[in-house]
Amino acid sequence: MNKVLTVARREFIATVRTKAFLLTVVLMPAVIVAAIYGGQAVERAAREETKALRRIAVWDRAGQVYEQLQAQVAAHNRQRPNQPFELESVSGEDSAAVEAELARRVRLGDIYGYVIITPQAVTGDSGAVLARQDNQLEIGKRIESWIREAIIDARLLRVGIDPQQIAALRLQPVPVLARDVTTGTTLGDDKQVARFLTPFAFMFLMFMGTFGIAQGLLTTLIEEKGSRIAEVLLSAVSPTQLLAGKIIGMVGVGFVLLAAWGGVALLVAQRYHLAEVVTGYRLTLAALYFVPGFLLTASLMAAIGSACNELREAQSMVFPLSLINALPLIFWLYLAEHPDAPLSVALSYVPPIIPFVMILRVCADPATPWWQVVSTLAWLWVCVWATMWAAGKVFRVGVLMYGKPPSPLELLRWVRYS
Amino acid sequence: MTEAVLLEGVTKRFGRFTAVEDFSMRLPAGQVLGFLGPNGAGKTTTLRMVMSIIYPDAGRLSVLGHSKTLEVKDRIGYLPEERGLYRKMTVQETLEYFGRLKGLSGRRLQERVATVLERIGLSQWRGKRVEALSKGMSQKLQFVTAILHEPELLILDEPFSGLDPLNVDLLERLIAERRQAGAAVIFSTHQLNQAERLCDRIVLINRGRKIIDGTVAEVRAGFSTRIVVLDAVGDLSALARHPGVVEARVTAGHARLELADGTDPQEVLRQAVQVARVTRFEVQRPDLQEIFVRLVGRDHAPTDHSPGARS
Repeated sequence: MNKVLTVARREFIATVRTKAFLLTVVLMPAVIVAAIYGGQAVERAAREETKALRRIAVWDRAGQVYEQLQAQVAAHNRQRPNQPFELESVSGEDSAAVEAELARRVRLGDIYGYVIITPQAVTGDSGAVLARQDNQLEIGKRIESWIREAIIDARLLRVGIDPQQIAALRLQPVPVLARDVTTGTTLGDDKQVARFLTPFAFMFLMFMGTFGIAQGLLTTLIEEKGSRIAEVLLSAVSPTQLLAGKIIGMVGVGFVLLAAWGGVALLVAQRYHLAEVVTGYRLTLAALYFVPGFLLTASLMAAIGSACNELREAQSMVFPLSLINALPLIFWLYLAEHPDAPLSVALSYVPPIIPFVMILRVCADPATPWWQVVSTLAWLWVCVWATMWAAGKVFRVGVLMYGKPPSPLELLRWVRYS
Repeated sequence: MTEAVLLEGVTKRFGRFTAVEDFSMRLPAGQVLGFLGPNGAGKTTTLRMVMSIIYPDAGRLSVLGHSKTLEVKDRIGYLPEERGLYRKMTVQETLEYFGRLKGLSGRRLQERVATVLERIGLSQWRGKRVEALSKGMSQKLQFVTAILHEPELLILDEPFSGLDPLNVDLLERLIAERRQAGAAVIFSTHQLNQAERLCDRIVLINRGRKIIDGTVAEVRAGFSTRIVVLDAVGDLSALARHPGVVEARVTAGHARLELADGTDPQEVLRQAVQVARVTRFEVQRPDLQEIFVRLVGRDHAPTDHSPGARS
């Protein structure tokens, strides 16, 4: 045991002392903040961009819509004076000739686009036409909504209802207060965003903590094997002691990382009165899931690292594992919104991603059944035991073997005959 | 005398490949054993079994009186053929780390670290990172990590490769000191002249099987073949055609002739005198080089990629 701790201590110090580790401790929270607020910043930048006046030609063949459309555009111009639009009414006899002429003007750049509204469009029997210069999604949707609103207003007018009155009624605020069931406090809009993003932040930190460090384990193992340090170490300790020491050291590194990040999260939560999203219960669960989750991934990485001679070989072996590990990142929105859906429950029992899926679910829905927490943890520990057992065998053979990397079949054979 | 290492009928297989087969050897304390063999012969596999890095499939193994060598790891020192140290650790940290892994601690550890640093002249470098050392320095450092804990069994895999003559001399002295202190030393090597100079006993292994085991003198005596060495003024090439000569290496003024059994060296000398003016004539036993080449021979073509084998 002494030797295991000696190895663990060295691994811990050697890792924590590197610049890369310091950067990870500081940078990762920064990346998360950037991911959350970056999207908003990009949106704001898009809104603040100044654009030249764009003109849209309108052929209102129904004769009731142009005015309403003007009102829509005027409202937009008030809201975004830096991106103004202007309407131009056109008319004609030969519809084909008029449209050809409008198309020509769009191509020349004389107008941004044109809209044709037939009487059937107002009755709903046919559609209005919108043609424009570019394919910008957001502005296209905006113009479409102007047309839709204008046509609805025209219909309202036709049956004698004042669209202005309806619009005014719609504008009156209808507040709905979100109340947190654990603390009984009422959450503002901004807090709801935080509440929604917290599960992701929890999962992402654990994810980066696990894979960042396990990746480090993989790299150092390959280095040690390449420089034959492993051989010297094995003359002093058994392969099992070496493997255990390395993994324990790395668990320590992971705890330092989680403690740093968790501490920052707690501070931020208190500073912004978000104590209900970063609770002791959640942090405890994060720690409970982190340890076995990390052990599982670390032993897989150790097995792969010991079997390979170069990082490149290892990366191709890690690839299938990475695919599975990407699942919580792909499904996080679904998991956070439907924590109790069958798919969410099923994903909670897929070994390497159990911690991430569960922390997402528990954060998204504090009422996740306790038996699911217990059974996933138990299942996770069973997997940890099996993986460590097999990884130990592969490690024992692999760490002293040089030459071409083994195939998955050979790896199985190593497990059998070591 | 107690046996430091005892192997009886040890066999190790990797899948279908047999790396070591029915191998036996003994090494008493206080002796130096030369462990010879071509690449892929099974040397490293055997040494790894002695260090209980891997375990034999059959046979009996005892190291320092224990069959479970895991218990005596702290009393063994090992220097692998290809050297490796943590580049980012300092010299002092490196020695302390390996010392702790070998069971040293506290004042004893500090004393030993200071002593060995002094011994190899690296005291001023103790605070420097390993990556800052020259190749020779890091080789010396690696060597003392193996003897830091004053092991009773020292296993050295090609300890002299890549060392300059001064450091070879230093290492030889350090090895001699360990031996004098009663430690047993196994060292595997390709450099047969060194083996002849340093070893009490020789074991030659090829294709996983032991071919020779004995003292250097015994091994040499076991080969009845004799070698005749001649220096002369004149052309000696005619001697190569002598019916009693099995193999000849003749250059201008020098001949080295291997004689068939029953050939009288005097007869060769008589022929030499007829063709040239002989200035030196000597009958020798074959040296290890010749025995090695003879036994391992030209038919040797090791190919294996099994675990435990070096590629």
